[in-house]
Amino acid sequence: MNCVELQQSLAEVEDGSSLEQRAHLRACPACSALVNELNLIVAAAGELQAAEEPSPRVWNSIEFALRQEGLIRPQRPLVPSFSARWGAARWLVPMAAMLLLALGIYVRRESLPNQMAQQASVAVPAANSSDLNDADLMQEVVDNEPAMKTQYAENLRQVNESIRDAQGVVDESPNDEDARRSLMDAYQQKSMLFQMAMDRSLP
Amino acid sequence: MANKRAAKLVAIGVIVAGTLVAESRKEYHFAVGPRAGVSVMNPYGSIWVKPSLNNTVVVNAVLHSDKVEVDNSQNGNRVDIQSHLLAGADSDSGRVDYEVLVPADASITLHSSTGSLRAEKLHGDVSLEGAGAEVDVRDVSDAHVHVKTMNGPVNLDNIQNGHVEVDSLSGEVTMRGVNGPLVQVVSTSGKINYIGDFGNSGEYRLTSHSGDIEATIPEWTSADVSARSVRGEVHDDIPLQPKNHTWFPVDKGRAFAGTMGRVAVSSTVVLRTFSGKIHLRKRSENK
Repeated sequence: MNCVELQQSLAEVEDGSSLEQRAHLRACPACSALVNELNLIVAAAGELQAAEEPSPRVWNSIEFALRQEGLIRPQRPLVPSFSARWGAARWLVPMAAMLLLALGIYVRRESLPNQMAQQASVAVPAANSSDLNDADLMQEVVDNEPAMKTQYAENLRQVNESIRDAQGVVDESPNDEDARRSLMDAYQQKSMLFQMAMDRSLP
Repeated sequence: MANKRAAKLVAIGVIVAGTLVAESRKEYHFAVGPRAGVSVMNPYGSIWVKPSLNNTVVVNAVLHSDKVEVDNSQNGNRVDIQSHLLAGADSDSGRVDYEVLVPADASITLHSSTGSLRAEKLHGDVSLEGAGAEVDVRDVSDAHVHVKTMNGPVNLDNIQNGHVEVDSLSGEVTMRGVNGPLVQVVSTSGKINYIGDFGNSGEYRLTSHSGDIEATIPEWTSADVSARSVRGEVHDDIPLQPKNHTWFPVDKGRAFAGTMGRVAVSSTVVLRTFSGKIHLRKRSENK
């Protein structure tokens, strides 16, 4: 075993205790020093006190900010693997998919003119106010600025109403540029509200 | 009777003395170069920024209790001031009122949740943010002025050649003598008042979802004006030359579009609301 192989093997046996690793470490002071340092870090990490970890509020704030930025999404609940749940019947799925595909092609041919008439509405922003979690916002306000709770709640109500109003007109008239701008403005205002609440919660 | 009065006076004296003991003043001085950056973050309390006579930043802070400290740091040409709330501080005991003198060309960033924010006689960039803060900016020129509030009222007075951007959810926004290449206000439900002449060749966009928009301008204003309320109504006291083409349907009572004054120097003015009213008023005044 050479130095590269030893370093690769540390991913499997990190303390260098396998027979081959021990043989190389006896002959190589550099790798021996590396393994000693790794062992020291592992030992020291175990002694870290829980109190030295950042408070849960820090993690919550980071997670909240990342969610608002759309960089992460809420985790879906874990489900048993597909093959474990369906066993031998899993071959039915590709068959069903093909049937659905064939059905889709047929329906599309039948409804193409109608679909083209509705195409304009596809370009409209599809997001709705529930994408931003209002309960999270109010919790941040209650935690950090309880005196401002009523004011935030009222402004949140107003901005949600403005989103609904504008979305309604956009749905009615997808080509109405003013209505689309109103909708974008309303979302920006809501985003600003979240930003303000978050600013106070950060250390 | 006399005893009762004496007891009251003693009680008042104790309260006043307690307040005076708890309140303390701090003063900090920082030497800076041209175009310095100054930032003040103050959760509770007012911030008033004025120009200093030389290249010095002077911070006068009045702390309302010992549950708040003033953290300050200078990094090169940048000065950061922050009210540091200690355990148990609330909106009363955590309050600090600042008066800050900065070189007139300094860029400032002010942040307060509930206190008033005021900046005057500067020509560096101004950025003010506060949820319930009352904002007042006056006599600022050749600068970016950015304001964000939730429900605090915003007053902008005599902003010349500014890039002005105001975002307010429900606070009323009032502008007097504000002009520049860009003046943009977006509000959800707050009323927007503009009193001025829309400058020369600038872009003015005033938008409120349900708040009213009122612009009062002299007859000699040069502007290309478009106004529309999707669900509300519009009123126009000034005769405009109708435009041949608009990007929106000009329904009578809901929208108008036209030009006034000299085309060569006219500004673009867009007034837009969803359910509020728009009123373009004439100011009776000679140039």
